[in-house]
Amino acid sequence: MKKYIEVARAYMKAQLVWRLDTLVDVILAVAKILFAWILWSILFEGKEQIAGLGFQAMISYYIVSSYLFQLEKSAEISQQMAGMLRNGTFSKYMVIPVQTQGYFVAMEAGKIAFSAVIGFFVTFLWFYLFRIPFLFTTDRKILLCGIIMVVLGLLFMALLNYFLGILTLKFEEISTFLMIKDNLSAFVTGAVIPLVLLPEWLIAGVRFLPFYYVTYLPSMLLIGKCEDEAITGLFVLSVWCIVFIVLNQATYEHYRIKYDGAGI
Amino acid sequence: MKIIETENLTKKYKRYKKQEGLAGSIKGLFHREYEEKIAVDAFNMNVNDGEFVGLIGPNGAGKTTLVKMLTGIIAPTSGRIQVMGFYPNKLERAFKQQYAVVMGQKSQLFFELTSEDTLRLFKEIYRIPEDEYRRNKNFFVDLFQVQELMNVQVRTLSLGERMKMELIVALLHNPKVLFLDEPTIGLDAVASKQIRTFLKDVNESRGTTILLTSHYMEDIKVLCKRSIVVNHGRKIYDGDTNLLFGQYQKCKKITIYFEHSVEPDVPDYCRVLEKTNDKLVLEIPKQNAEKVLESYIGHYPIRDIGIDEEEIGSVVERIYKGVGI
Repeated sequence: MKKYIEVARAYMKAQLVWRLDTLVDVILAVAKILFAWILWSILFEGKEQIAGLGFQAMISYYIVSSYLFQLEKSAEISQQMAGMLRNGTFSKYMVIPVQTQGYFVAMEAGKIAFSAVIGFFVTFLWFYLFRIPFLFTTDRKILLCGIIMVVLGLLFMALLNYFLGILTLKFEEISTFLMIKDNLSAFVTGAVIPLVLLPEWLIAGVRFLPFYYVTYLPSMLLIGKCEDEAITGLFVLSVWCIVFIVLNQATYEHYRIKYDGAGI
Repeated sequence: MKIIETENLTKKYKRYKKQEGLAGSIKGLFHREYEEKIAVDAFNMNVNDGEFVGLIGPNGAGKTTLVKMLTGIIAPTSGRIQVMGFYPNKLERAFKQQYAVVMGQKSQLFFELTSEDTLRLFKEIYRIPEDEYRRNKNFFVDLFQVQELMNVQVRTLSLGERMKMELIVALLHNPKVLFLDEPTIGLDAVASKQIRTFLKDVNESRGTTILLTSHYMEDIKVLCKRSIVVNHGRKIYDGDTNLLFGQYQKCKKITIYFEHSVEPDVPDYCRVLEKTNDKLVLEIPKQNAEKVLESYIGHYPIRDIGIDEEEIGSVVERIYKGVGI
């Protein structure tokens, strides 16, 4: 475990090297809050509620979900893996005593930790300075469920992207898979529009998919909504994570033996 | 004790053969033809514990494929292979803990981190105890005299400095076997010599078994008592390096830069490799090299002279054809 913590630390340190990136992260965190406030102020003009959410709840949802969405950078995993497998540099991970799945998840954790800390402090400062109305759950159990769900959601996305990366061993070109995943994920996580705006039957359907629990549900839980779905959400997401951990291990072992192109 | 053993080791690749043009591409959507390429062919090899063995051969000879199989990166198609008692392609943790690979053109380092941070990361990856880590780090850092580079971002290191760091990272966990793929590629003469001295020291003082692939004759001649020559996936020579070069390296490559444009006479037994107004590159039989040089020095205004070993491809070709035995 210690080695993976060190991998995460290494990538976190690597993020800090780039001062412009750090500054952009801060600016983005500020910009998204400002943007949400302006956008929803206009949309709520003359209205009490939109899709069952008041102004305070809506802006809180938007900010939390976009904060979580910004943390989710795991697409880099599949792109990086695909690139390295094709140019023959992936073998550097094969020859060191780590599980490649663990390595890439730890790498992602390090990058997320960096963005999470920056984003959290900037958001907190912004709210404090401008007194933006913000709705947050006061129920500690729900808060805990929400936080665990965020962690599991990010873990799932890292595992999914690792899986897509492994597919390079079989298909060599995975951009179609990535495009499908990106579109599906953006829609189903509620990052495009809040899921409450969708018909009930569609929401019921996406509840079997893990994406629903990556951004949407934890955002709702953290603003004190959908509390009755917390346990179900944790269960579904945990199952998906376990499935992908096993699937990834099996797929990697299967295809790496057949793959000839992993250069040194 | 045999630390590396292969018997009839074979690797075949299957590759898609596309017909030319757009029509060929469209046809390829529906029907594909594949061709089989034998990269390594019934290869037998034994390496004993502590040996420093050179693996040489022209591009496409099968060296890299062989190293890939020995390190477990790819699986053989057939034959037997064992490295330190392990079947490499299983990539067991205990196996990976005992070897290292250094590639001249591909890096193991974190470019954004400092060398010190990178070493710390590898300490955790290989679970090296703190005291052993410090001891090894200090030993290698002193050996290479790179103390002042430890807190510098890897990205900013020169090629030679980076290669030194690659070697330190690779040796930090005391591997029993070290696979080196072109470790001096692109390096200047000073850095190459430092790397060679370092590797010699590591092999002698630590008993690390080293398998070196290189296109540089100097690397092989200085470091490897034993050489294995590969061509078309087959072993064509396995034995004493000095004997190999004594028997098959028949020529010297001499580069002469003239002060101004000249039209020099070239003896019949010399082969002109390159000729411009003020530069002449010749391949000269070893026994005639001195005589030719003397005649040029005496007759033409010379600015500089370079003497190199014959290119490895020519030597391998000669061995393969049996010329000069």
